[in-house]
Amino acid sequence: MKITIGHLFPDLLNLYGDRGNIQCMVQRLRWRGIEAEVKAFGIDDRIDFSVLDIVLLGGGSDREQMIVCNRLKEIKDSFKAYVENGGVVIAICGGYQLLGKYYETDNGRIEGLDIVDIYTVQEKGRLINNIFLQSDLFEMPIVGFENHGGRTHINNNKPLGKVIYGKGNDGKSGYEGVVYKNVIGTYLHGPLLPKNPQLCDYLLSRAIERRYGAEASKLTPLPDKEENEANKYIVDRYSDKVENFKEKIRKLI
Amino acid sequence: MNLRGKIAIKTAKLVASLCLKMGRQGVTWAGLIARKIEPNILKLLSDQVREKVYIVCGTNGKTTTNNMLCTALINNGKKVICNRTGSNMLNGVVSAFVLATDKSCDLDADYACIEIDEASTKRVLPTLKPDYMILTNIFRDQLDRYGEIDITIKILSESIKMAPKMTLVINGDDPLSVSLAKRSGNSFITYGISEKVFDADENSEIREGRFCAMCGAKMHYSYYHYSQLGDYRCPECGFSRPHIDYPATGIECGDHLAFTVENRRISANYKGFYNIYNILAVYTAAAHSGVDMEGFQTMLDRFTPENGRSEHFKIQGTDIELNLAKNPAGFNQNINAVMADTRDKDIIILINDRDQDGNDVSWLWDVDFDRFGEDSIKSITVCGIRCQDMRLRLKYVDISSELEPSVEKAIRNKLQNGVKNLYVLVNYTGLYSTRNILKRMEGEQ
Ligand SMILES: [Zn+2]
Repeated sequence: MKITIGHLFPDLLNLYGDRGNIQCMVQRLRWRGIEAEVKAFGIDDRIDFSVLDIVLLGGGSDREQMIVCNRLKEIKDSFKAYVENGGVVIAICGGYQLLGKYYETDNGRIEGLDIVDIYTVQEKGRLINNIFLQSDLFEMPIVGFENHGGRTHINNNKPLGKVIYGKGNDGKSGYEGVVYKNVIGTYLHGPLLPKNPQLCDYLLSRAIERRYGAEASKLTPLPDKEENEANKYIVDRYSDKVENFKEKIRKLI
Repeated sequence: MNLRGKIAIKTAKLVASLCLKMGRQGVTWAGLIARKIEPNILKLLSDQVREKVYIVCGTNGKTTTNNMLCTALINNGKKVICNRTGSNMLNGVVSAFVLATDKSCDLDADYACIEIDEASTKRVLPTLKPDYMILTNIFRDQLDRYGEIDITIKILSESIKMAPKMTLVINGDDPLSVSLAKRSGNSFITYGISEKVFDADENSEIREGRFCAMCGAKMHYSYYHYSQLGDYRCPECGFSRPHIDYPATGIECGDHLAFTVENRRISANYKGFYNIYNILAVYTAAAHSGVDMEGFQTMLDRFTPENGRSEHFKIQGTDIELNLAKNPAGFNQNINAVMADTRDKDIIILINDRDQDGNDVSWLWDVDFDRFGEDSIKSITVCGIRCQDMRLRLKYVDISSELEPSVEKAIRNKLQNGVKNLYVLVNYTGLYSTRNILKRMEGEQ
């Protein structure tokens, strides 16, 4: 069994340890005896989505996103077809914003991929801090670090999780991220996946299921002591700052 | 000094002496109070400096560069004002000048060497008009404080505009620094390492400036040293590594450092390729501003980077080297220096996430820790507020580590059970406390 991960434009979209997300997916596949290949695409490379199982779209500065934006127009249709066909995408921060219709910045509008019906508007003040969520995709809280000036509005789409501590999509709605088919968009750095092994495995199993069927997608559990403790550290650190903490967190690992 | 200035200085000195017991906080207070009483105090005092005022900015190497420049000038018999304590924001800078005045509230100084935090330049440069700004480099650092590297560049370029007569001393190997200097309109001089030193793998590090800062095209490198530093050229607009006024050649980089500049062989008895840049920056600024360079090597022989920059301790028969590693570029350079030592060694890594460290520890994943997987590394202990994150980071390059939140316990443990050769790598807020612990342990012997 082999899973191919496409890393889109790491030259430009590589803020805040996205390399860690790739490393996490690769290791968690290999530790289970599943072959993993990473294809890093430069801005001028041709992308054949049919060979990809997971696409990672990372974050960049506004300037870098502007450069990427022009290239995205050319791959919009094939990217969209990949998503509609159940292709797995993990889009983080700037990458999350690019999933939507547009990102309105002080320096102009960045056109997005229009894959999910969401949009982002820059507002004064960045939302910066540790954050954790409760998702209904799995039990373990999702922890990370948010740092964004854009406020993302997800319309009627399903959020990734309810914000227990932190700001989230727009600082008001109480939700963070978006889930659409096998696409997850989120503002969480940290990097995201190493401290959230359940989220990483969720993505991996979706990708395996799509290519190899439901039976193959049942992943062997891994000894996640270090992952769980790093996750728990963030949750514990803020637990006394959250009202009715125990009710909001479904299960602490 | 005018009357209001005198009152400002006397009050600030009083406050500083009262605060002495409170430690570093007093320095900031003294600066603040002096400014409140005489807003123009920084200009009044810096105008009294007889020769030159240098400021030092840049992501990595500020403190070492500034202290070394100061030492070089003192070594030449000059009187120098320096903010050695690392108080590099506006009030700390003001305080350095105020506290250096004599009884009649005047300065007796030939030079001033002032380290300034990049974000603080916009508050300092409206009143301080330096002759030189040494810009060491621009790397990704402490993201959540500055937003991102583009913001740092923007702040610096707006600040430089406030001092149009200031000459920039620029690392010519850094395209981000060079494009900033070119666009500023200020005059600038360059230093650089003008030969291929490493057979570096192009992709081993994330290079911030690989896209042309002028036109956005991908740049070509004929060689590169680390991060975005090297010999670059943009195929689209022709932006390229400029003529280097002070090129270093004949590089030796192992247990000690050596290079040649202006037909002078320079050597230093400490490790770390990045230190060549620090020495070269000091050399360039001093030589260009007319300082006599005859005693430069003698000064270097005696110079020890302070405050935990490659600082050496010998405790209970164990060699200990303490080093600051606060961002990917700095950390990778530290790993180079550690791996240049072929003996068996233990490693302690301390990671905090306080404001001065950056609250986001994502950067740990941009450091090439896989290079610690070699046999000569006998153990790695992870400490500090985010020791869990550090342990997890190492797990994903198949390196196991010992978790011990307290760095003191970790050090004592390695003194007992280690291989007598210990490297302690800490990020910013861990530096002073770890250094104090080591100093104390040194005294216990
Ligand atoms: Zn160009």
